[in-house]
Amino acid sequence: MNYDLNEEQKMIKESAHRFLAEACSSDFVREMIEDEKGFTPEFWGKMAELGWMGLPFPEEVGGAGMTFLDLAILLTEMGYYCVPGPFFSTVVLGGLTVLEAGNDEQKSRILSEVAAGKRILTLAWLEEGGTWSPEGIRLRAESRDDQFLLSGTKLFVPDAHVADTIVVAARTGDAPDEISLFEVDANAPGVDITLLDTLAGDKLCEVVFNNVKIPGANLLGKEGGAWPVLNNTLLKAAVGKAAEMDGGSQKALEFAVGYTKERVQFDKLIGTYQAIQHHCANMLMYADTGHFLMAHAAWKIAEGLPFEEEASMCKAWVSEAHRKLVALAHQVLGGVGFMEEHDLQLYFRRAKTAEVAFGDATFHRERVAQAVGL
Amino acid sequence: MEFSFSPEEQKLLEEVRAFIKAETTDALLAESEELGHIYGGKEGRKFIKKFASHGWLTPNWPAEYGGLGTSATVAFAIREEMARAAVPLIFVAAHMAGPTIMHFGSQEMKDKWLLPIARGEVEFCLGYTEPQAGSDLAALRIRAVDKGDYFLLNGQKMFNTHAHVADYHWLGTITDPDAKKYRGMSLMIVDLKSPGIDIRPMVTMAGWQTNEVFYEDVKVPKENLVGELNAGFFYVMHALDYERMFPLAIYARLVDEVIEYARNTTVDGEPLARNPVVRQKLAQLKIEIAANRHLYYRLAHMLDHGQVPNYQASMQKLFATETVQHITNTAMEVLGMFGLLKKGSKWAVLAGNTERYYRTSVVETIYAGTSEIQRNIIALRGLELPRK
Ligand SMILES: Cc1cc2nc3c(=O)[nH]c(=O)nc-3n(C[C@H](O)[C@H](O)[C@H](O)COP(=O)(O)OP(=O)(O)OC[C@H]3O[C@@H](n4cnc5c(N)ncnc54)[C@H](O)[C@@H]3O)c2cc1C
Repeated sequence: MNYDLNEEQKMIKESAHRFLAEACSSDFVREMIEDEKGFTPEFWGKMAELGWMGLPFPEEVGGAGMTFLDLAILLTEMGYYCVPGPFFSTVVLGGLTVLEAGNDEQKSRILSEVAAGKRILTLAWLEEGGTWSPEGIRLRAESRDDQFLLSGTKLFVPDAHVADTIVVAARTGDAPDEISLFEVDANAPGVDITLLDTLAGDKLCEVVFNNVKIPGANLLGKEGGAWPVLNNTLLKAAVGKAAEMDGGSQKALEFAVGYTKERVQFDKLIGTYQAIQHHCANMLMYADTGHFLMAHAAWKIAEGLPFEEEASMCKAWVSEAHRKLVALAHQVLGGVGFMEEHDLQLYFRRAKTAEVAFGDATFHRERVAQAVGL
Repeated sequence: MEFSFSPEEQKLLEEVRAFIKAETTDALLAESEELGHIYGGKEGRKFIKKFASHGWLTPNWPAEYGGLGTSATVAFAIREEMARAAVPLIFVAAHMAGPTIMHFGSQEMKDKWLLPIARGEVEFCLGYTEPQAGSDLAALRIRAVDKGDYFLLNGQKMFNTHAHVADYHWLGTITDPDAKKYRGMSLMIVDLKSPGIDIRPMVTMAGWQTNEVFYEDVKVPKENLVGELNAGFFYVMHALDYERMFPLAIYARLVDEVIEYARNTTVDGEPLARNPVVRQKLAQLKIEIAANRHLYYRLAHMLDHGQVPNYQASMQKLFATETVQHITNTAMEVLGMFGLLKKGSKWAVLAGNTERYYRTSVVETIYAGTSEIQRNIIALRGLELPRK
């Protein structure tokens, strides 16, 4: 057992902290929420220079060959700073799916460009009636000669409007889990993308496919065999989101604790009031438990061990713990925290967004129930 | 980061498990249950002495004092095994007094006490609380007067749980009544068979007993003073940081039993295990148990890396004990009317354990520092919130 980061991980954390403190100010985050694209090429380019885009990919494809735990540590810092833009979509959602499903040619072509910061990816899986089940995927890919025809609508596709490539999960047969993955050019004729207006100003899109022609070579993995891959990626994404929430928890805790040491009411610092002290103690408890469950799941993924149970435990717990932590921060900050001007609201918005992403607590508790033999 | 035991650690834990399995008798379990899992009963002593002969009672102590020189992690893991097996697991001598003697006792004191403690030959009783001094330990009144070659003690203790089965009292007593708060208390070891000591039972709603202990002109040899005179409060706080740890494995086992029960029990024509609400609740308990396990092993990790747990120990105590109550209440919910049936009752399920644990769990968030006190510590020491 060891609860410390190793030297490399400490370095990732510190360098990310340093870079983002400078490059990802509150003003920048707020601008990007308003901005239609949601990121700037300069910011993206700098992150690529730091090697972040290729962090979890093997060296053969231009990646850094680091582990999922290393990636989780980076995501924690990104969560702390509310990093805007399509990093999560590109590296976690698109990148890890391609890494798992793609053949050698696809991997080296797509991921080397991702690592160089030259290609933005995303993953389209949810639909109108969609939950996290293969049955929820209705969008059809009809096989015609040596190509596929895609028709249907994907929802809540993050950053599709700026993506170069959309990895699309589509139905290629009638059996419930006959799902396939495709590499789709986001600019292909028949792909119609509409940005949706959301709670946190993150860029979720509707993507309509109108008889989009996909070359047969763009099939990622086995036809009809994509569900296990997709399921795996989504679980990893759940842990990745929990890592972001971990960072968000740290920030919200800092807001609250800092305020208790400066705000005076009834002639005393509010931090001397036990009700406030206990709110803060509860926040720290949510933060620490969440952090450990996240790190454990990320470690399991990094070690190549079965991680389903830990990943679901992590997402179930952190989804709720983080929301409660942010709510307590609001309580401690009083009216000030409700002001648009205060950054806590950014974390409030992101907390709910992250909570429902990749399965909420109820969803993952059900998965835990399955894992423990219920 | 690393979330698994090394092969050597696993091997040791296998041995511990095998020993517990082979040596646990019904009589031991019955006694352990009757005593609320404290150490000191006849069967417990028989079992623990044999257990301790392997060095497992104090595995992280140095060999010269009867340990194996293992990591704290191993010691924590062994405690988890003991808790899971529901054998005696609350030790005052081995887990609280011993480490304090090791840190602050004189050489003579170490030589006299540590080996017998490590071998399980003596058990102590934790003697802090008094009627007017619960959470506020500095309000102690029991008085020890220096009489030259001995201390003379008068006063009363309350809620001193091991007193009726232990050999010695690990006593917090006032040696300087005029000193400022926190500066006039000393720790001493008192033979519970000393003339002038009267132990009276206080029966808890869990069925097991704790005690009042009355001191009337009790003579305590000077050599039984632990460390420096009037430094007791510091030692107690220090010991809490080292020793506040709650393996909730005994309750974790209840969760596994309830899961098994849910799989095998049909209610209104459907297995309980298919009921989505039941599934949600039991899964939540498994998650909380997993979270607690990290808080628990973080303490071991800190000790193994030369750090002294501080708010982290409070957090683990707080989280574990609140989880315990969540567990027992959920178990009662899942069992419905059957949860009400006591051990031995006709129709009792899970050996009537749920009813008993439900009652016992009430005290978990109270003793060894209430949840409120733990939150105070987390806020003031962990987050450094202002005191005034
Ligand atoms: C079954 C049992 C076994 C025990 N075993 C032992 C033993 O072996 N040895 C021993 O020495 N003691 C033992 N104790 C005593 C135990 O440690 C105390 O009961 C505990 O510390 C609380 O003290 P109290 O019961 O006097 O409650 P109080 O201190 O009177 O507390 C009452 C309420 O006030 C709250 N409160 C008190 N102070 C504060 C504060 N500063 N801030 C916020 N809230 C506060 C408490 O949290 C609680 O909710 C045992 C107790 C029980 C019930």
